[in-house]
Amino acid sequence: MSDQSLNIPQLVVVLVLGFLAVRWYLARPATSATPHAPGVRRSPGHRVNPALVEQVAQMFPQLSRRDIMWNLSRNGGSVAAVTERHLSGRGLETPPLSFQSDLPPTPSSSRPATTAQPPKQHPDLITRYNLASKISQPPSEPAPEKQKPQWSQSKAERQLDLQRRREEMILNARRKMEEKDRLRKAAESAS
Amino acid sequence: MSKSKLPTALIRLQREYRELTLDPPDGITAGPVSEDNFYLWEVLIQGPEGTPFEGGIFPAEMRFPKDYPLAPPTMTFLGEMWHPNIYENGKVCISILHPPGADPNGYEKASERWSPVQTVGMILLSVMSMLAAPNDESPANVNAAKMWRDDREAYEKKVREGVRRSLGLDA
Repeated sequence: MSDQSLNIPQLVVVLVLGFLAVRWYLARPATSATPHAPGVRRSPGHRVNPALVEQVAQMFPQLSRRDIMWNLSRNGGSVAAVTERHLSGRGLETPPLSFQSDLPPTPSSSRPATTAQPPKQHPDLITRYNLASKISQPPSEPAPEKQKPQWSQSKAERQLDLQRRREEMILNARRKMEEKDRLRKAAESAS
Repeated sequence: MSKSKLPTALIRLQREYRELTLDPPDGITAGPVSEDNFYLWEVLIQGPEGTPFEGGIFPAEMRFPKDYPLAPPTMTFLGEMWHPNIYENGKVCISILHPPGADPNGYEKASERWSPVQTVGMILLSVMSMLAAPNDESPANVNAAKMWRDDREAYEKKVREGVRRSLGLDA
């Protein structure tokens, strides 16, 4: 019994010391172990050019600007390297919690990949796939020769074909929904 | 160079892309975002008829691991989704995407989970039927699950409004 009552204060002291040691250890790398970006956290002189961040964010709206900024600051501001890293599937380096991006708030049109976000931030499909100009066009009638799926030998052609099929699917859905609206309105005014 | 050795995952993904292009399942368009990276696909799924998702087109991203098809891909919807089995960040939670070894929730049959004989097409068809029939045993979106269970009308209304918004129409 007496052993135990002696041990509790000791235990507390050990815990407190341990906690402080861990804190001290974790706090160090943030200030000293980032040789490429010594002052990224605060000093405006070493800040990553927001235009570069924006450039990457435009290409990959699913990436968070904070991640992009951290990765840019780590590789000396190379957009190509960040792009390459993302496309290779390795994913971007996660910034340490202490990293503050000092970025202006993201424009509402883009879709930051941060966790909770109101649904309003999702661009609709027309915006996402840049179809605004094609909505008003009459549907490209699937001419008599109904397009049979083809596998082109050319990579570029395959890419275009996939894009065309995506756009068609979205535009068809949109037209159908508009048609439904028209019918419903007609029915409403008739009754 | 006589025998160029592509990774198994790449060969398999190229074959699946070809098959999905030549014989696409109804209501599905799928392929790599760019053929420079076969491990990242963008797919479109049409909302199943007779459900509140009807009329909608839902874009999603699929990421394949380097050891595909041993390990399953992940799938994340890119737009607004209100569904018990889809996390608020869009990530899909469905048994076919879970490796057979790991059953975090202890309710899935091994036969329903991922195995290398499953394909992208099968995943997408499963996700389509998941849209039609949510599984509320292990909801990914607790609020959506609750609404689906307790107030079906409100749930369907919310989904339908999301569909209209996603097509750029007034909800």
